[in-house]
Amino acid sequence: MKKLCLCFLLLSNHIQALPPEASVIQIVVFTQEPDWDEPWNSRPVSRSTGTGFVIEGNRIMTNAHVVTWAKQILVRRYQDSQPFQARVSHIGHDCDLAILEVDAPGFFDELPPLPLGTLPSVRSTVVTYGYPAGGEQISYTSGVVSRIELQSYTHPGNRRLLAVQTDAAINPGNSGGPVIQDGKVVGVSFQGIPGLENTGFFIPPPVFDHFLKDVEDGDYDGFPQAGVRMAPLQNPAERAYLKVPSQFEGARIDTLFSDSAKEHLKKDDVLLKVGPFPVARDGTILYEKNQLHAGLAFTLAQNGETVPVLLWRDGEEVMLNLPVWVNREDAAAGNSYHLPRYYVYAGMVFTPLTKDYLTTFGQNWSSVADTGILYELYYRKKSDPDNARPEPIMLAATLAHPVNANMRVRGRVMVDQINGKKIDRLEDAIDALENATTPFLNLRFIGSYGFETLHAEDAATANQSILNTYGVVNDRRL
Amino acid sequence: MKYPLAIALVFLGIVSSSLAQRARSPWADSVVRLDINRHQYNFFQPWARRVSASQKFGVVVGKREIVTTANLLFNHTLLRLQKGGRGQWYTGRITWIDYHANLALLTVDDAEFWEGLKPAKLASQVPDSGTVELVRWSSGRFEVRNLNLNRLQVRKGQLTFVDMLHLQLDSEINGVGWSEALTKGDEVIGLTISQSRNKCLAIPSSFIRSVLQAQSEGTYRGMGFFNFYWQQSENPTTLDFLDLTGPRRGVIVTEIPALPGDENTLKRNDILLSIDGFGIDTVGDYDDPQYGAMMLENLATRNHWAGDKIPMTIWREGAELELLYTLPKADFDMELIPTARYDVPPEYVMAGGLIFQPLTVPYLKSWGSDWQRRAPVRLIHYKGQPPTEERPRLVVLSTVLPDAYNIGYQSYRFVVVDKINGQRISEINQIQAALEQSSDGYHLIEFEQGEPVERIVLDAKRLGAATQRIMLRYGLAEAAVVND
Repeated sequence: MKKLCLCFLLLSNHIQALPPEASVIQIVVFTQEPDWDEPWNSRPVSRSTGTGFVIEGNRIMTNAHVVTWAKQILVRRYQDSQPFQARVSHIGHDCDLAILEVDAPGFFDELPPLPLGTLPSVRSTVVTYGYPAGGEQISYTSGVVSRIELQSYTHPGNRRLLAVQTDAAINPGNSGGPVIQDGKVVGVSFQGIPGLENTGFFIPPPVFDHFLKDVEDGDYDGFPQAGVRMAPLQNPAERAYLKVPSQFEGARIDTLFSDSAKEHLKKDDVLLKVGPFPVARDGTILYEKNQLHAGLAFTLAQNGETVPVLLWRDGEEVMLNLPVWVNREDAAAGNSYHLPRYYVYAGMVFTPLTKDYLTTFGQNWSSVADTGILYELYYRKKSDPDNARPEPIMLAATLAHPVNANMRVRGRVMVDQINGKKIDRLEDAIDALENATTPFLNLRFIGSYGFETLHAEDAATANQSILNTYGVVNDRRL
Repeated sequence: MKYPLAIALVFLGIVSSSLAQRARSPWADSVVRLDINRHQYNFFQPWARRVSASQKFGVVVGKREIVTTANLLFNHTLLRLQKGGRGQWYTGRITWIDYHANLALLTVDDAEFWEGLKPAKLASQVPDSGTVELVRWSSGRFEVRNLNLNRLQVRKGQLTFVDMLHLQLDSEINGVGWSEALTKGDEVIGLTISQSRNKCLAIPSSFIRSVLQAQSEGTYRGMGFFNFYWQQSENPTTLDFLDLTGPRRGVIVTEIPALPGDENTLKRNDILLSIDGFGIDTVGDYDDPQYGAMMLENLATRNHWAGDKIPMTIWREGAELELLYTLPKADFDMELIPTARYDVPPEYVMAGGLIFQPLTVPYLKSWGSDWQRRAPVRLIHYKGQPPTEERPRLVVLSTVLPDAYNIGYQSYRFVVVDKINGQRISEINQIQAALEQSSDGYHLIEFEQGEPVERIVLDAKRLGAATQRIMLRYGLAEAAVVND
């Protein structure tokens, strides 16, 4: 008995004394990206690795980019050679976080969840845990918190959220690994900046806490935005023009983008306070001793919640609750991580204009793409909203067949009209082509590309045979 | 002993006479060097003027008359010419220049300069292949080099948006493109304009000759051009779609940019069947009697000038139609974003540290040779837009010279101006008038929708003093340069 108890005690002590690495998981992912040029196809399967860590509820937290487009996810425990299959239960592309679950019983036994900490202070020391490239064993790096700022998140491409910069090395494979301080997770390693030495970035507690709270209801919504552009309000003339009392700080609301902002706010409102945070003249707030852009304060709310704002409007203070929503309008301009929508007819491949699609032009896609197309994707909605199309459609390519072989314009052009009908979304193209009553199909393109014409009857006759020739099993994904 | 010496003398005599023969290339008396000092502007600092020096060549073509390309003559401060490849430089002046045609006539008032110079003959028809000679002065020697003429090509001119005929040559010689004469037999067949790797471009003498002749007769009205875009009709279904009967021919008009004063009646989807009596094929070429297949744009500059009426046959709505097309005059001011503005310093208005400038292609070229990729997409987008009556051109807030007066605005750059104090701003010369109309002591400057900021406010009362102070601090001699 005594002997047994001692053993138990030893074992129990062993669990208690388990260092954080016991709960750090190596992730091996087999991914298959879609092919935006030939959207019915996928690219070759590739293997990559990342890191995750166990959190409450038998879940593994990692980066969204580690498991994006995954066909198979294998997880491996510390010093355990057996791989287990995992699946994504939630993924937040905007904050580059994901939660994995493992169905194999017993996987989480003896894996204590790592406790989650709070935002570390600048100059404090942190240690990263992960499985970076260059070996198979777990690796540790330590460094100080260099600064805390809103950073552009590379994975979504068009989101800025809070991020912490450290001089601890964060390399490929580290992604999704915990950053530990005083035994608690104070960050999730996620990106570096090529060419900058001794800089790695991790996702801090305010962001992963927000993500975890968001998924409590079973769905992930994302980080809301105010839907406005703020401008600094430092110029004495502008302050006098808006009659802002000298003892007030505050930044000016220059442009209203979202419906909620248009409903509740006015241009030239002076934003004095967001939630508990006074707004300075340069549009920043003091958040946990860091001077940061006031936009941060809106992202702390959950989708659909209201944020109390104090405004200076028409010479008096106004307090109101601003509902804030996730911006889904700009998904095409970021990486949307949905399988591409497409439609193939008479060999012509139609797909929406997205950043993902443009990246098929090559690494220097932004130099190769026609500036007219870049304008359509990134600027039209803001500068000319009345003429902006909800979903600009590209003729991506033309699968050669005698019926279309004479077409001079064969791809990489934006469709303006088909048979005189303006093409605002993929469904418009399908409708115009399938329900054509004229003997010709006439496609007019944006820019200097003119138009192309096919015989409608020949096109309809050849359609199925072209799909067969090129192995297009489904002529559409909607 | 005398005998060998005599042989040596004879030998030397032969050598020196051969040298003399080589130095007497007949072209040496027709080709002169040009030395040009000119202003070079930095559009990011439009008040700063630097002087650059360039050298090129000219060809004597008439009595006290030298022809050269117009390139590098703009904004000149001093023009000098030299004959014989060495010795004295003579001050010259431009008697006529046309940037669209890329041609200039020069003269020198000092009669001494013209002694020994002989006019060269410009060919009225140029070859389209074979070896030609490039002649120029190089380090005091007269150089005659062979080049291979590849083809004739219709393409955009060096200084303009107008398409015209060019010679394309293979060249292994370095540093070509400075208006060197190309010769064949006893005629000049062209003047070089540029070199890219081993390809060299030149303006053909046939074109130079016709422009100079019209100019001397007073019938030159400037370059005309076709103000429409067209597409090839190699896809026969496009012609079927437009109900063309008979043989497949012609190209299709796709767009006619809005142009004040252009009263031509071409429409989108018209098929151009013939221009000036020449049938147009489905790729847009006509059969030139001198040079074979040429792009139809050449018909706008082939012995035609602005204002000429050119007969066209078009196909519209199932029938042939004859019309006369009046060639609009090429003018940079007709563009929303002008391709160029020559012989004027860059315009700007500095008000309270805010630098306003017209949005022009030379301004966009400040982003470097690949400006069409590197300049902000917002600005490049306007390049393809037509001007409208209410918005013929654009003005940008280019940058802000930091001062306490404009604090808070220092980071605004390259923002297209919409209104100042409620007045629409399209031209740089409207800014100062608009700034005289302040409302309640403030200047309200509004920007186009979608720009990085929508509006800023300045203190009207302190504007004058701030502008003066900022001029001194940043070394601006003038607060504004606005051309008439």
